[in-house]
Amino acid sequence: MSTAERMTPEQEKPKRDYSVFEDDIETTGVDFALLGRLFSWMKPYKRQGFIAIGLVLLSASAAVLAPVVISRVVVDGILLPESGTVAPDFGQKALNGFLASSLSLHPLITACLLFALWTVCWAAFSHGFRIMLARTVLHALRDLRRDLFAHLERLPSSFYDRVAVGRVMTRLTNDIETLFELLAGFGVLLGEFVPFFVAVTVMLALDPVLTGELMVLLPIAAIATYIFRVASRRVYRAIRSSLSRLNENLQENLSGIEVVQLYGRERLNYDHYTSINRDNRAQENRAILIESFYGPTMDSMAFLAMSMIVWFGGHHVLGGAATLGSVVLFAQFADMMFRPIVAMGEQWNVLFRAMASSERIFQALDWDEALAEPARPIPLPEKLEGRVTFDRLTFGYSPGNTILRNVSFTIEPGEKVAIVGPTGSGKTSLIRLLCRFYDVPPGSILIDGVDIMQVLPAEIRTRIGVVLQDFHIFSGSVYENIALGNPAITRDAAERAARMVHADPFIRALPQGYDTVLTERGRNLSHGQRQLLAFARVLAMNPEILILDEATASIDTETEIVIQDALRELTRGRTSIIIAHRLQTIREADKIVVLTHGEVREIGSHEDLMALGGLYKTLYELQVQDVSGEA
Amino acid sequence: MSLINTGRLLEAFMPLFLKEGIDRIAAGSYALALPALAILGLMVLRYIAFSFGRRFVREVGVEVAYELRQRLYWHLELQGPRFFSRFTTGDLMARAINDITLIRQMVGLGTRLLFVLGFSGIIAFAFMFHQSAMLTLLMVPALPVFGIAGWLIARRIFNQSMLVQEGFSILSAQVQENLNGIRTIQTHAQEDREIDRFEKTSDAYARDYYRLMFLNSALTSTMLIATGFTTLAVVGYGGYLVTSGGISIGTFTAFIFYLAMMLAPIKEGGIMVTLFQRGGSAAARIFEVLDHRPEIRDEPDAAPLDRIGGSLTVKGLSYRHPSSSSEAPEGWPALNDVSLDIEAGEMIAILGRVGSGKSTLLRCLVRLLDPPPGTIYLDGRDIRMLPLTQLRSQIALVPQDPFLFAAHLQQNISYDNPSREAEAVWGAAEAADLETTIKRFPERLETMVGERGVTLSGGQKQRASLARGLIRETPVLLLDDCFSSVDTETEEFILSRLKTLRKGRTTLMVSHRVSTARHADRIVVLEDGRGDRHA
Repeated sequence: MSTAERMTPEQEKPKRDYSVFEDDIETTGVDFALLGRLFSWMKPYKRQGFIAIGLVLLSASAAVLAPVVISRVVVDGILLPESGTVAPDFGQKALNGFLASSLSLHPLITACLLFALWTVCWAAFSHGFRIMLARTVLHALRDLRRDLFAHLERLPSSFYDRVAVGRVMTRLTNDIETLFELLAGFGVLLGEFVPFFVAVTVMLALDPVLTGELMVLLPIAAIATYIFRVASRRVYRAIRSSLSRLNENLQENLSGIEVVQLYGRERLNYDHYTSINRDNRAQENRAILIESFYGPTMDSMAFLAMSMIVWFGGHHVLGGAATLGSVVLFAQFADMMFRPIVAMGEQWNVLFRAMASSERIFQALDWDEALAEPARPIPLPEKLEGRVTFDRLTFGYSPGNTILRNVSFTIEPGEKVAIVGPTGSGKTSLIRLLCRFYDVPPGSILIDGVDIMQVLPAEIRTRIGVVLQDFHIFSGSVYENIALGNPAITRDAAERAARMVHADPFIRALPQGYDTVLTERGRNLSHGQRQLLAFARVLAMNPEILILDEATASIDTETEIVIQDALRELTRGRTSIIIAHRLQTIREADKIVVLTHGEVREIGSHEDLMALGGLYKTLYELQVQDVSGEA
Repeated sequence: MSLINTGRLLEAFMPLFLKEGIDRIAAGSYALALPALAILGLMVLRYIAFSFGRRFVREVGVEVAYELRQRLYWHLELQGPRFFSRFTTGDLMARAINDITLIRQMVGLGTRLLFVLGFSGIIAFAFMFHQSAMLTLLMVPALPVFGIAGWLIARRIFNQSMLVQEGFSILSAQVQENLNGIRTIQTHAQEDREIDRFEKTSDAYARDYYRLMFLNSALTSTMLIATGFTTLAVVGYGGYLVTSGGISIGTFTAFIFYLAMMLAPIKEGGIMVTLFQRGGSAAARIFEVLDHRPEIRDEPDAAPLDRIGGSLTVKGLSYRHPSSSSEAPEGWPALNDVSLDIEAGEMIAILGRVGSGKSTLLRCLVRLLDPPPGTIYLDGRDIRMLPLTQLRSQIALVPQDPFLFAAHLQQNISYDNPSREAEAVWGAAEAADLETTIKRFPERLETMVGERGVTLSGGQKQRASLARGLIRETPVLLLDDCFSSVDTETEEFILSRLKTLRKGRTTLMVSHRVSTARHADRIVVLEDGRGDRHA
């Protein structure tokens, strides 16, 4: 219960700015280093990526060849045979002629077959390209997501003390989805740009003058796109921020739904949500207004190109500089010219969003806060004796706020120690330090004479069993919640542990006993039942040192007495530390440590402390009154 | 919509002028100004029609998203335990974020595509028919083939999309649970196992997503081939007509353009089908939530009481917890035939073993759980016959879990009524023995608490939650074991003053400590869901 009043970075560590997890990141530029880093997750799937690029080249060629067959072969070669010019046809005419003579079919029919062939190639290659791309991107992001998850899973308590879970969570969910949009978008760009370049090459070969004339439109389109992006950037930002406010509001409302309902806040919260939602709608509509100017502008470019083709192209044909087939081909390509610009315009928006997302993701991934791990870890002995020594331990979560002051005492092997003291006296902090949730000054806590700073934190935690004050029940069956994936804890072992803490009767009364699936945070159990389950969980792992931090606070006296009997068994010969408010629990301890304001005030057995006549005696007498009051 | 269609109609004239131009070029005429300018003119008109038309359709999409969010939020505000044991927070968040976006895209973009492309298809068809009936009819047999192929793939897209969206829900829920339970995971050194578990989820999600992308792409390519083969028929037969002198080369070209226009909806059909299928599955997921009628509601003939005295009667109350599994639909029993009489102004302590139904009883009294009719009476009136708002404004329950919102202490303590004066808040804080703690914070009542605020100890949170209940000064106050993390001395201090504060008003306290019970006028012991009274 003695959590620090205010959690700020520790003195000896570099000052960390946790507020970065609060801020909305907005990037205005494209950071290539960030993109490069993102691409490094695609490296293992390099081969698929290159296959995808090869396929998009093939599909673009097929996509361009199909109209060439119509314009150059059918229109120029068959329908208007007299207009024979030197304009290139990429061997299509010759190919068609060869096919027609070898299959002895009419050239029009073979031209159709040729067209069919290119269409099928186009469809097949573009399908191959899309799925290869999807595979590369999805695999890369799956790996990134796993890496980020694994990183977050190992960040120390000091991190989770200070950041909001919701903000960290969106990095794993929504931000990665945004990156998917970005990377898939690169594929779309590739799919638009490659045909564009192929088409322009073909057009240049057919009629360089007309192509040059059409190219004038490109800068116009590019400028229009640029203006649009500048105009819309602020609106998009406002949309994003209103969306994240909407989500936060909803999430908190759901987490606290009971309090909301109990305190009649439904209407008020709804009104607040409505105002954010209204703001979001207004911003969305503003964006639509801007977009409604831009979209048709780009569409109109194709029309403008078309009238230019008729006007200039017509004159070229009449002047003999081009063929009618070329004009038909140009008309078919007119649309293809502007699509990359439109696609780029669309991707631009995604790009900025994705830059912000990847910045958030890498920020979390680069967060190097960690417990100090010894360079050469000392393994704990095979079998712990169980001597725990606190040696002049001084600790605070923040520089100005010392929680523990010069705490020194020793717990002998097999001893049962109770720690008592008022709220904020540092009891829970002491336990957290012993479990190595935080770094401690070297030499201040020793287990069997080994400085815990020299031991791997994970090893300490597998040897010490602690029932936390704020334990968590996972969604899953009762058995899974006891075993927590440890294969050594069999069904029998789990049931034995449950019987020991008297949880067995209520578990058996559940519809499916030990297989009953518990919902999120164990909402379908009572608080006391959840506490018994957390208790059973620790007993099942049969730890060498047992710590109970108010493990029985929500358990009735009668059940507690049953547990006490079990505990007496359990703690025999096993070092155990118990934090409790209830007298019965405390009195049986071999040694009682009284903490106030982070200092050891009194220490000794029940009899010693009663004889001392200090704080413990006062607390004790207060409770004895209760007991006599009950009787 | 009609504006867009006007735009499409304008667009349809384009190939006509193009045809005119091409015919003139083929005939060796230099009079190209007319067709070129006509196309330009069309462009301007079309621009105007489109920029307004599109705007309206997209605004409909935004409006739909707005309405859905509003409805969903209000709907969630009214739900009870049965609902929340079925839908986790992570799942609901995924639905509220992703599924609503998908529906919006379907309405905004999908509808536009459907109408616009459908309409331009019809226009193109009409124009083509006018140009050459024979050529047009060539395409008719191909259409149902696309339809069937498209439909078959589309159905699979719907199912696959459902899987992807569910996968995202599962992923979100797992992340949320992991981050919330991180201390427990680390205490038990379970990090590696959780990472493995997450990897499996993430992998399944990527696989499902890949399948969806595969289907999407297959649909796009199928449509491409279908349109290609239609073009082929037209080119073959049209080419034959040109060589035989049946139609002009301009008509032929115009025809190819019309064909492109008519086939566009089919080519874009892939996108459209995907939008509709994904939107459809998203809508199914949203309606799954919206169709869940709130289980705890006002009875139609509920009427408020004028004055609440605070006497409570419980008559033969039995309650079974709902079960989320279908194997045991009847759930499990929590309360069994409990009867109690509490007079106005009494202070009652409720004791009982773990799982004996103490919390369930308190939750039934405020209808967080719904008791059967005729089992609980407030001032002689069945509480089910009282409007929920009155019931909950007259009976305050301080729950066992001290949930604090990410807001100032003042906002948290005066949660039911934000307009209270600071004095009242200080008063409640004093009653909950939180005053000195607050005074130690530099920002006092404006100190942020909750996830991002200062970290309060378990006992401090409980006392803040208690202050939130005390400030309401309701005729009935229910305290659900809210001293469990408070040390005995502090508890003693709060309770001794509570007696004076609550004089003349009813107070029920669930506790495990005899020290708490000592302050009560009477003690009630619950045993295996049965009430047993002690003086």
